Amino acid sequence: MPFTKTVKSSAYYSRYQTKYRRRREGKTDYYARKRLITQAKNKYNAPKYRLVVRFTNRDIITQIIYSEIAGDKVFCSAYAHELPRYGIKHGLTNWAAAYATGLLLARRTLVKLGLDEHFEGVVDADGEFKLTKEADVDDEPRRPFKAFLDVGLKKTTTGARVFGAMKGASDGGLYIPHSESRFPGYDIETKELDADTLRRYIFGGHVAEYMETLADDDEERYKSQFQQYLDDGVEADGLEDLYAEAHLKIREDPNLEDPDKDTKGKDHWKAESEKYRLKKISREEKKANVQKRIAELRK
Amino acid sequence: MIRTLKPRNARSKRALEAREPKLVENQKNTLFLSGTSTSDLTRSAMTDIHSLKKPNAIKFTKKNSIHPFEDAAPLEFFSSKNDTSFLVFASHSKKRPHNLTFARTFDHRILDMLELGIDESTFRPLTFFKTSKPGIGMKPLLSFSGAIFDSIPNYQLFKSMFLDFFRGETVDSINVEGLQYMIHFSAPESTEQNPTPTIHMRVHMIKTLKSGQKLPRVEVEEMGPRMDFKIRRVQEPDEAMMKEALKKPRALEARSKKNIETDIIGDKIGRIHTGKQDFGKMQSRKMKGLKRRPTDDADEEMTLVDEDEDNSAKKARLA
Repeated sequence: MPFTKTVKSSAYYSRYQTKYRRRREGKTDYYARKRLITQAKNKYNAPKYRLVVRFTNRDIITQIIYSEIAGDKVFCSAYAHELPRYGIKHGLTNWAAAYATGLLLARRTLVKLGLDEHFEGVVDADGEFKLTKEADVDDEPRRPFKAFLDVGLKKTTTGARVFGAMKGASDGGLYIPHSESRFPGYDIETKELDADTLRRYIFGGHVAEYMETLADDDEERYKSQFQQYLDDGVEADGLEDLYAEAHLKIREDPNLEDPDKDTKGKDHWKAESEKYRLKKISREEKKANVQKRIAELRK
Repeated sequence: MIRTLKPRNARSKRALEAREPKLVENQKNTLFLSGTSTSDLTRSAMTDIHSLKKPNAIKFTKKNSIHPFEDAAPLEFFSSKNDTSFLVFASHSKKRPHNLTFARTFDHRILDMLELGIDESTFRPLTFFKTSKPGIGMKPLLSFSGAIFDSIPNYQLFKSMFLDFFRGETVDSINVEGLQYMIHFSAPESTEQNPTPTIHMRVHMIKTLKSGQKLPRVEVEEMGPRMDFKIRRVQEPDEAMMKEALKKPRALEARSKKNIETDIIGDKIGRIHTGKQDFGKMQSRKMKGLKRRPTDDADEEMTLVDEDEDNSAKKARLA
């Protein structure tokens, strides 16, 4: 046994205080969280909302959350897997889908607050940088609904998709304090935002462009990569209209019912599960069963 | 006493500077500790008080063999290590079941301590009440009912301690939307049979409903935790230390303004000091009768000569 210096003695371990569970799991940045949920001193005691954006492999989750002492409460939520109801059936985690999900969340929140008619946001997305301003409600100026973007542990690089969701929510009429510096199309050297590039991303132009280049260069790869698009008859040049239409539909009714929603009801599924459940049988019944089997074997 | 640290880098220097005494002190932090044996009840009570105190609270889970009223040095150690001026210590023993000790420090030395026993039968945790809860870091409204809080020393200490405990940030204006909950302490009068009555702590959510008038109709709904305290041991503050703790920094005192007085009626009177006036240069009233006339020439010349003399004298000095 070679000589090793004991760096951490038993005194260390006996005094060691474990970190919070979510810290140990590496899921929460508590430094950021503390600052996102506590209100600034000068605005003391006003409730604070967060726009939480999270990406999974096949879905985007956006929620408006506020913190209570006994835990966080979700005020409103929207998912990318709801987008097929509005006509966006493929690429549910790309930049354009993030924008649409953010827009859906914003419209839903405002409908819930009864402010959807007063805060229209940017109806025709043009990719310009714009923050929601106060609007007149019943001839009195009303400040917009304010929420702060919570990106979680994602890297906040220029062009990241979390900012797509934020742009969608901002264009949908929520007030999310931000700057233009993290949108695609922002040039760090000239410090200017190219509105055309941003607009292209909002309407899935970058996907369409890739589709075209693939179709030209590598037909086979194109067919495998965009199989489902092709099955649905979605072409590169039809993408922009598809997204534009979806945005309109979201504004029309942000609370569309799922057409594939299970309508069979609780009773149906109870009956279904009863089919496979083993019933308890009495001793007499068990005996009878055994006798029956013996009789069958004797035959 | 802990050795004084010398900061080795800028970050630790900033961290140490943040802990130094300030002109306007920051919010008091609270540290929650548990003793060698705690009951489920004290733990849950501590969790609930911790969640009311968030985000200015730290909760530790390790067991500590500390007996605050015998030796408070470990508490002082924890206080200085974690920069917390409030400590809540939970313990449970046969002699003193369901015990919470609230300790206040000044300059990381124990100022006063209050030991409270929680009534087992009436305790209800925060989760027992299925209501909405206030946001994190909201200021509560505090109310104390019962004359006992102003008359008996232990109860006075209780009031002072809890006012300090839940006071939060000092602000000069408040958003009405943020007035979300109130904490109510009540205790009956002390009588012959019951010289130390139980203190009831109730926490309510404040609901503002439409009343048709400008002011809303206010209703309260209990949100928990519900606790009944019995005061056990108490360590009164040391008089000299209390005096030091209450001392206000000189720089914060409003400077008295000179030469401004208010008389009995309430009128503000100011005195202004002007320099000595030179009447020779004063501009008197201009009128035709005072204009120079040719008959006054003799006088005039006299003065002119005088002036010339003056001028020549000046020139001589300059040269």
